[in-house]
Amino acid sequence: MGVPLAFPPGTAADAASGRPPAIPPGTPALVELQGITKAFPGVLANDAVDLTVMPGEIHALLGENGAGKSTLMNILTGIYQPDAGTIILDGYARALPSPQAAIRAGIGMVHQHFKLVPAFTVAENIHLGWSRTPWRASAAALEARTRALAERFNLAVRPDAVVGDLSAGEQQRVEILRVLARDTRLLILDEPTAVLTPAEARELFAALRAFRASGNAVIFISHKLDEVVAIADRISVLRGGRKVATRPAAGADERGLASLMVGHDITLRKARPRAAGTLVSAAPVLELDRVCARDDRGLMALRDVTLALHGGEILGIAGVAGNGQRELSQVVTGMRRVTQGAVRIDGRPVARTDAAAFAAAGIGHIPEDRLRSGLAPDLSVADNAVLRDYARPPVGKGGLFRPWAAARLARTLAAEAAVAVPDFGMPVRNLSGGNQQRLVARREIRIAERVLVAAYPSRGLDVGAIDTLLSYLAELRDRGRAVLLFSEELEEILELADRVAVLFEGRIMGVMPAAAADVETLGLMMGGRGARA
Amino acid sequence: MSWRLQRVPNVPAGAALAGRLGAIVAALACVAAVLTLAGLAPGRLGAEVIGSAFGSIEGLEDLGLLVTPLILTGIAVALTQRIGLWNIGGEGQFNAGALAATAVGLHVGGDEIWVLPLMALAGAAGGAAWILVPTLARAFAGVSELITTLLLNFVAALLVAWLCTGPWRDPSGRALATTARIPAELPPLGDTLHWGFPAAIAVAVLAAGLLAFTRFGYEVRIAGANPGAALYAGIPVRARIVAVMLLSGAVAGLAGTIELAGTVHRLQGGISNNYGYLGIMVAVLARGSCLGVIAGAVLMAALLNAGIVLQTQGVNTSTVLAITGLILLFTAIGDEVVHYRPVRRTSAAD
Repeated sequence: MGVPLAFPPGTAADAASGRPPAIPPGTPALVELQGITKAFPGVLANDAVDLTVMPGEIHALLGENGAGKSTLMNILTGIYQPDAGTIILDGYARALPSPQAAIRAGIGMVHQHFKLVPAFTVAENIHLGWSRTPWRASAAALEARTRALAERFNLAVRPDAVVGDLSAGEQQRVEILRVLARDTRLLILDEPTAVLTPAEARELFAALRAFRASGNAVIFISHKLDEVVAIADRISVLRGGRKVATRPAAGADERGLASLMVGHDITLRKARPRAAGTLVSAAPVLELDRVCARDDRGLMALRDVTLALHGGEILGIAGVAGNGQRELSQVVTGMRRVTQGAVRIDGRPVARTDAAAFAAAGIGHIPEDRLRSGLAPDLSVADNAVLRDYARPPVGKGGLFRPWAAARLARTLAAEAAVAVPDFGMPVRNLSGGNQQRLVARREIRIAERVLVAAYPSRGLDVGAIDTLLSYLAELRDRGRAVLLFSEELEEILELADRVAVLFEGRIMGVMPAAAADVETLGLMMGGRGARA
Repeated sequence: MSWRLQRVPNVPAGAALAGRLGAIVAALACVAAVLTLAGLAPGRLGAEVIGSAFGSIEGLEDLGLLVTPLILTGIAVALTQRIGLWNIGGEGQFNAGALAATAVGLHVGGDEIWVLPLMALAGAAGGAAWILVPTLARAFAGVSELITTLLLNFVAALLVAWLCTGPWRDPSGRALATTARIPAELPPLGDTLHWGFPAAIAVAVLAAGLLAFTRFGYEVRIAGANPGAALYAGIPVRARIVAVMLLSGAVAGLAGTIELAGTVHRLQGGISNNYGYLGIMVAVLARGSCLGVIAGAVLMAALLNAGIVLQTQGVNTSTVLAITGLILLFTAIGDEVVHYRPVRRTSAAD
């Protein structure tokens, strides 16, 4: 999609340049939010937030988890009603009582987790819940209409493809097309690059610039400072429900934005050098020898994976999501059977796929979907804290389970994780998502006598929490433990890992020292272009 | 300034209990209104119902006889609920347990000291055997236990009916459609009550302890609350499902044994008296808590008792069913309503 994009009613020249169009003086803002306030029990999610988005502007919204970005966007898309404040569209105060009203007003949102029906085709998804869907909706008619739309907005999609089979980048294009087809003038994107390869992200940015060129506007929500500076015209920072600043992107520095976001200076890209005197073990603690494994649907997900993980090192696994990371993390933690090859812990082949035995052997696991598989949300904080320890003293003795010992261990973990828990008997789902994650991380670090498998440990955490978590990993390394780090942030891997392996379609495309790797080479390998190791 | 309702995720225990009580009062108020329209005096009927159940030792003992099987069938359902499954087959396992106990009671002679434990073992084994096929189908083939356990209820009921009108018919010819009286009887505890009552309470306490204070119980709770987390922790979910379902069937079978050896003394069609189905309601009222099942069973027994009293006053038996239905309905509403708090809407000025 490297060609220039054209969006009506902009001129071809505007679109080709990709620059913001000249706005005649006196043009009202496309959206103006004045004093938006929204409270939930115990929390003021938005506190008198003002935000102005001009036509022909890409406006980035920065903020930590819980800064109020989602609430504000839910108000702008008609999902929530503000407790106070005014929404002004094109100079007229408007109420947006429902999502339908927001769509009619030209406001469309692409959520981080796509709202597509995986079993439907692209054409069916585009036409779902759309008043202009023809009454006679034959597959051929819908696909023809979709093809016309794709051409009009210059978004390459295959109308007859089933959405579940598409890559994340393709699914995102479908989402964007779906929103644009409804005559959207303000496109809201929530963390749009989280699931994209660098190349896909570049395509997205080109499409956004073309969309802007025809006088439309984009609100771009992100944690990633560098891309915000690269794509946005102006940047607004939310913190604790308040808007703390709006700055032009030109000339904004990442460090200044980061400190606005967290409210104090943080060290970005802080190097975490190995402590003096720590060594990488000569013999690997965990080995995979030509391992093959199938995914849940029975398709081959890992092919001939050979990896050796040594004590005192961090091995980063890079790759676009869905290339076997999930299966690899499950194989090395005893959750998934290998169909071929061998898994060895300290040189001894593992006889049985048994997650409890792997944990007992000192392999901790911060799972990818920790809120779904790392915790039982309806059970108490104490019950969840001892998921790894319930079978051994002091919590388990003989066949018994001692709730008081579980509560004591939970208290220790909560203190280590710096999570305030008012009542260890309350369901763990009452904790915030970030606190649940921290608790899981501490629980797994505690048992990681040999290896910690950390799958996307920083996903969904704010900058400060990510920083803490990454220093935990470095600390483990310094204590001679091995860390297998899965991440979608290349910078994170390069910053922390000693070696980097790239997964592509279930194969290891290559393993290299992190010091010798650069983002572009890794990006190429993630796209399947690289020498096999 | 205006008020509106806000949903809160957590409800304190006191408010939850108040919701439950409010639901029961509301359901009874509805019944009272209907009875008034039907020309009856609900106040007098209510007094009579309460007096007959709680006003005398005899009344309390009769209530205890109803509570006993309801605790056990309630526990049978509550156990499977904890691992995320529904045993709808308590009725069938109750019958199968009574049947197995009858086989022992009729054919094994000897001292009660030996025969009664043997009957209990046979009853528990019978109940477990009756849920065996649904259990294996659930654990290894993913077949919904709802359907399989439910359908086997009818098989068990017909099997019992056939046995007590056929091969095991009372040879004396004095009683129809029933087996001979079984010589072994549970020792009495008062006039009509027997030791099955404390035994049922003991089972409830043991079940609660099993879930709260054993490794097995912990694994069951994790597997029930989130199978993904159980897989992650390496808990053998299938083995736990098999164990819990068989245990559930055994408890329901034990209920049949106790009903047989303590209260009815003969195997006959309809011995299960819907206790298996009512156990589902008991477990729902108890929200899956094993100790809560005791309270739920008392409430359900009081309702059954009320049914008997109302019938003598010329009220249709289906009225009682309607009352239980209303209580369940109002309980479901009450459980949701307690999640809401009125909050003041902040005015636009601040």
